[in-house]
Amino acid sequence: MDDKDIELHITEKILPDVLLEKVSFSYMHSETGSVAALSGVSLIIKRGTHAALLGRNGSGKSTMAKLINVLEMPQSGAVFVLGRNTGDDLSFWYIRRSCGMVFQNPDNQIVGTTVEEDVAFGPENLGVPSAEIRIRVDEALRYVGLSDLAKRQPSQLSGGQKQKLAIAGILAMQPQILLLDESTSMLDPVSRDEFLAVVDRLVKEKKMTVLHITHDMSEACLADYVYVLDHGKLAMSGTPGEIFSQVQKVRGLGLDVPVFAELAYEVSARLGIPMERQILFSRASALEGIRRMLSQVAEGTFSAVILSACPVALPSESRVVLEVSHLNHTYDKKSEPSLSDVSFSVNEGEIFAVIGHSGSGKTTLISHLNGLLRPKEGEIVIFPKEGAVPLNTRKNADVRQIRRTVGLLFQYPEYQLFEETVEKDIAFGPSKMGLSAEEIKLRVQESIVLVGLDETFLKRSPFELSGGQKRRVAFAGVVAMDPDILVLDEPAAGLDPTGRREILSYAEKLKKQGKTIIIVSHNMDEAARYADRILVLKHGKVCALTTPQELFSDRGTIRELGLVAPETVLCLTELQNEYPAINPCFFRVGEAADELIRAAATGGSL
Amino acid sequence: MMKDVSIGRYYQGDSILHRLDPRVKIVLCFLYMIVVFMMTSATGILATFIVVAFLCLLSAIPIGTILDSVRPIVFLLLFVLVLNILTIRTGNSILEWGIFKITDDGILKAGLMALRLFLLIVSTSILLTLTTTPLLMADSLESLFGPLKKIRVPVHEMAMMMSIALRFVPTLVEETDKIMKAQASRGAEYDTGNVFARAKGYVSVLVPLFVSAFKRAEELAIAMDARCYRGGEGRTKLHVLHMRGKDVFWLISLSCLAFLLILIDFYVKIR
Repeated sequence: MDDKDIELHITEKILPDVLLEKVSFSYMHSETGSVAALSGVSLIIKRGTHAALLGRNGSGKSTMAKLINVLEMPQSGAVFVLGRNTGDDLSFWYIRRSCGMVFQNPDNQIVGTTVEEDVAFGPENLGVPSAEIRIRVDEALRYVGLSDLAKRQPSQLSGGQKQKLAIAGILAMQPQILLLDESTSMLDPVSRDEFLAVVDRLVKEKKMTVLHITHDMSEACLADYVYVLDHGKLAMSGTPGEIFSQVQKVRGLGLDVPVFAELAYEVSARLGIPMERQILFSRASALEGIRRMLSQVAEGTFSAVILSACPVALPSESRVVLEVSHLNHTYDKKSEPSLSDVSFSVNEGEIFAVIGHSGSGKTTLISHLNGLLRPKEGEIVIFPKEGAVPLNTRKNADVRQIRRTVGLLFQYPEYQLFEETVEKDIAFGPSKMGLSAEEIKLRVQESIVLVGLDETFLKRSPFELSGGQKRRVAFAGVVAMDPDILVLDEPAAGLDPTGRREILSYAEKLKKQGKTIIIVSHNMDEAARYADRILVLKHGKVCALTTPQELFSDRGTIRELGLVAPETVLCLTELQNEYPAINPCFFRVGEAADELIRAAATGGSL
Repeated sequence: MMKDVSIGRYYQGDSILHRLDPRVKIVLCFLYMIVVFMMTSATGILATFIVVAFLCLLSAIPIGTILDSVRPIVFLLLFVLVLNILTIRTGNSILEWGIFKITDDGILKAGLMALRLFLLIVSTSILLTLTTTPLLMADSLESLFGPLKKIRVPVHEMAMMMSIALRFVPTLVEETDKIMKAQASRGAEYDTGNVFARAKGYVSVLVPLFVSAFKRAEELAIAMDARCYRGGEGRTKLHVLHMRGKDVFWLISLSCLAFLLILIDFYVKIR
C-alpha cells in the first residue's frame, strides 16, 4: 500500500475498516532494552475483506492484532479502526466492542463455567439487558452450531468446539471486525475446516471484515488479500495469487507456498517456461497453469529432459523392535472402548506414522508404548537389542528399562521444562539413568546440537526462550536419554513452516542414526513424505497399515477411511484425466513435478 | 479420562429445593445452622431431626447420597461420642472401670451431641451443596453481599475470581495429568524411589504447572480485556436471580418452622 494511497483515504474521509499509518511499536525488556515488534507498517483493510497476515514466529503479527483491538497503543504512527483513531479515549470502548478477537489457545479464552455463560460474558460486560443477552446468546450459538451444548461445561468440549464457542462469544457482541490470532493452529484438520467454514460465512453473510493471522498457506489462499510481515516490516502484500507466484521471495521470508503453487513452480522451472502470475491462488487455477505448460511438452514445443520415474522405495525388512498385540483399552466402563484389538509391529530403523482424527485413540495408544498406561487386555513387547531379553509393559520390573528404551515426546512438549538452565533440563532424563557426569555432559551437548541450537543456550533459562526454541530443548531432553525408539506426538504442531520442517528433519536425522521413530500426525502431507509406513486409526481400531504409496494409490480406500490425500496426490490425480500414465503416489513436490513431465512427454495428451 | 471432574458435590435434580432461589437457600442454611446450635433439649433435637428429614424428602435425593456427605466426619462424630461418654460424670452410673465411669446421662448427652453434628452437616448439604451448583452459589453470594460494595468491598471481583477458579479446575487437573505423564516418560518418580527422587519428581510437575497457570492467567486477562471486561460496574447478567412467589413462600414457611423449633426447645427447658 502506497503512502500516497493512504493519504488519499484520509483526506477524502472514506476510511476503510482498518487503517495502519506508519505504525511502530516496541516491547520493553528489562535486560535487552526495547525490542521492535513493528516498524513503520502501513496497511488498509476494507469492509467485508478477508485479509490474511503471514510471517514467521516473532515477526509482529500478534502485535498488529493487539494494536487494532486497542490492547496495545502504537508508539508512533496511528491506527484507525472504523474511522476512529485508537489513540482517542472516547473511541476506546467503541473500537474494542467492534473488534472481536479469537486467540490461539482455546482453553485460555473461555471465561464462563458453562457454554452459554461464556457467550454471555461479552454482552454482560457491555451492559446489555438480560432479555436481549438471552436472544443474542441463542442466536450466536445457533450460528456456530453449538446450540445443543449450551449447558455443557467448557472442559467437555473438543478443541474445535471451543474455538467455535470463542467465535460465538464474539458474535454476541455484534462486532464488525474479526481478528483471528493463529486461531486454527491447535486444531485438527476436520475441526479446522469447520472453523474456517464459519469464518467464511461471516464474511459472506454478515459482511464482516476479517484479519486472519496464520502459518498455514492454504488458509491464506482463502483470503482476498495477503500481507506478509518480516521482522516488523511489511515485506509483501497482494492477492494470494500475486504473493504465491513469487516462490523464491516467500521462501526467503521463512514461509512456504501452498503445495499446488510449489508444484506449478517446479514444473515451470524444470521446463524453463516462465510462470504465469496470478494463477497460484487455488488448486484449480494452478492445475490449469500446469496443464498449459504440459500441453506444450506433449506437443513437442519443449524437449524436456525425461527423467526415469523414481522407483518406489519399499523399506527393507528389518527385525521387529516393538510389537503390539490385541491391545484393548477402555477409560471407564460406561464409555466406548478407546482402543479395541489393536495389533501391529514396528521395524527397526523405520519412521512409522500413526494417523487418525481427534478421539481416534492415538494418544491412548502411544501412552501404552512406554508403559504409562498398562494393558489390561493384550500386550506390548519391546525388543531392545538383537538377542536381548524382550521387555513387556505388563511387567513392573521392566517398566524402568522400557522408559529408557522408548522415548516419548508429547504434544506441545515445551510445558514439561522446569529446571533453571537448559543444560539441567536436558540432563534430567539421563541423570535418572545412573550415568556418569561426563557421559551426561556429552549427551547433553550432542542432543542440543542435534536440535539445531548451540552450546551458548545451555546456560540460559528455558523460560526465556522463544516457543520454537523451547520445543527443541524439550525434544533434546528426550533424545539425550538415547532411546532406541522415539515416539513423537504431533512434534511440529503450532510451529511456522520453517520450524515444522526443521523439527521433522531432526526425526530424519535420528532415523539415519538407526533409531526407530513413531510419529503421530494430523498432517497427511508430512506423514506421506516422511513415513515408511502409515497406521490409520479410526474409533480405536486399526483400519490400515501399509506404505504411503499403497495407502494413497487407492482413492476408494482413502474416502472410506475419511482421510484427505496429500496435496501432491490430489494434484496428480486430477491431472490423470489428461495424462493417464501419471502415477499419483509422489509426496515430494520435486518428484511429483518430474513425474508430470515424464508422463506428459511419454504418455501424450488424450 | 479426568475430563469430567465435578467440583463440589452437586447432585443433578429438579426438586423443589433444586429450583429454590439459591439466595433463599443460603439464608435458610444459616438459619438452620443457628437452630441446630441452639438446641439443647432432647425434644428440641428430635423435632429438628424430623424437620431435616422433611427437607431430605423435599430434595428428592437418595438417602445413600445424603449419608455419603457425612462420611468425611464419621471419625469426628465417633470421637465426640466417645469423649462425651467418658467425660460426663453426672447421672446414674452404669459401668465403672478404673478411672472410667459411664453414666446414663453421659450416653444421652453424647448421643444428642453427635446427633446435632450430624444434623448440621446434613442440613447444609441438603440446603446448599447437594442442590446448588457452585456457579449459582458464587452468583448468589455476589448478590447477597452486594450491599458491601458501598463500603468498597470488592464483592464482584471476588465472585468473578471464584467462578474463574471453578472454570479452570478441570483444565488444570487435565494439565497436571499430562505433565505427570510427560515427566514420568523422562524418568521422574512419584511413588517409587527414595524421598529425594520423589521430591524431585513432584518439583518437575509443580514448576511447569505453575508456569503454565501464570501463562494461562495472563492470556485469559488479555482475552477478557478484548471482550470489554471492565469490572462489575454497569455489568448485566444473562441469568438474573429472581425472587418468585414460590421462593418467598418457602423462605417464610421454612423460617417459621425454624422459629417453631426454637420455641419448642425453649418451652421444654422452662417447663
